[in-house]
Amino acid sequence: MPDHTTPTPRALRLGVCGPVGTGKSSLIALLCRELAATLELGVVTNDIYTDEDARFLRSAGVLDADRIRAVETGACPHTAIRDDITANLMAVEELEADYAPLDVVLIESGGDNLTATFSPALVDVQVFVLDIAGGGDVARKGGPGIERADLLVVNKTDLAPYVGVDRDRMVADASAARSGRPVVALSRTDRGSVVELTTWMLAQLERHRAGALVPADPGPMAPHAHAHPHDHLHDHVHA
Amino acid sequence: MTPSPDLLLMLLADARLPVAGHTQSAGLEPAVRDGLAAAHVPAYLRARLRTVTAVEAGVAVVARAHLLDGRPLAPVEAAWAARTPSAAMRRTSRGQAKALLRLAGRLWPDAPAVRAVLDTDAPSRPVALGAVAAACGLGAAELARLVGYDDVQTVAAAALKLLPLDPATSTGWVHDVLPDVEALARTVRDLDSPAAVPASGLPQIEAWAETHAVSARRLFSA
Repeated sequence: MPDHTTPTPRALRLGVCGPVGTGKSSLIALLCRELAATLELGVVTNDIYTDEDARFLRSAGVLDADRIRAVETGACPHTAIRDDITANLMAVEELEADYAPLDVVLIESGGDNLTATFSPALVDVQVFVLDIAGGGDVARKGGPGIERADLLVVNKTDLAPYVGVDRDRMVADASAARSGRPVVALSRTDRGSVVELTTWMLAQLERHRAGALVPADPGPMAPHAHAHPHDHLHDHVHA
Repeated sequence: MTPSPDLLLMLLADARLPVAGHTQSAGLEPAVRDGLAAAHVPAYLRARLRTVTAVEAGVAVVARAHLLDGRPLAPVEAAWAARTPSAAMRRTSRGQAKALLRLAGRLWPDAPAVRAVLDTDAPSRPVALGAVAAACGLGAAELARLVGYDDVQTVAAAALKLLPLDPATSTGWVHDVLPDVEALARTVRDLDSPAAVPASGLPQIEAWAETHAVSARRLFSA
């Protein structure tokens, strides 16, 4: 049995979470497209009602189909990445065993709501994804993923002019909510933003290999400095 | 001090046990997709207890006996596989065993029964449950009740996701089949050899399991 209390040379486990439709699968496809030539990658998806995400990624042709595994969550996507992570850990370990040595395993959460984040026992580092078309106020509303995930991606920024959202204002709000933690304003059509994302990921891989990466829990609705206590009630609103 | 068997049984039967139980519907999802309605669920529960669950409980009890006596597990696994003709159901069982053994290896790392099963290739869930029972001192009857009760609760919990229900209704179903669970335990509690395990399949459940395994739209793993 793997012992998670001692350092191992296993792959970096990178979680990607965020509400439905924000572009988690596309972000994973993008990372695979950019990095599969230089890194050994695997992907685990957590679909809610279909293996759509796994099939999307397989059909994108960015990775060998067998390196993309789907976990069914029994309509409990939150449980599967946070409370009982057993099914995901098994899928990750099987991938690692089948394709050893892997550099990175990307784990996509089932699109849930603003409160769903990964357990640090499952992922070493996590990205929370928002859709700019979801509205400029979402970043301000906060929540554990928005405020404390290792990276916040504000996705589909090329859509900003069409949905009446001020991109720079949304990124500034997000940065303020995150006390300086990194934010990437991402668009597939903006090469600079793609490089920003891959550079961040490669830096996490280096930290992991150096043993300097300590998984941090974005947390449940813990009190913090940037909102009044009553604001936390709003975190429970499901997307 | 060894915990009481009652408390151990509560621990192992608790849905909060981290063994990915939330991914399972005990075959209910494909059954519902094929037209099984809420009114049929109690019959479905009883049908499972008399057939596939009887095999699982019987194998668990025999595996426990073999592990306690240091007898080989291979004939037990063979008896289970011979009575589980659906490849999809065998895969599911082995996946569940893996999840259970991940936990058992942490809770009872030095128990010879757990070590023995961890050393075998792709053990089945009932064999893993037999190892857990041997490791924590659970008796054969308690083990059989656990297998039956867990199957019933898995169906009932999945029904709340798949069929619109007042949860008091599904809990009533569970309550009402408890005598059937007890009857199952009485049938298998004294089994000692693989050949004695009931050979009771249910072809419709097996066919549903095969259909589900290749379905593109699944809420539950199985």
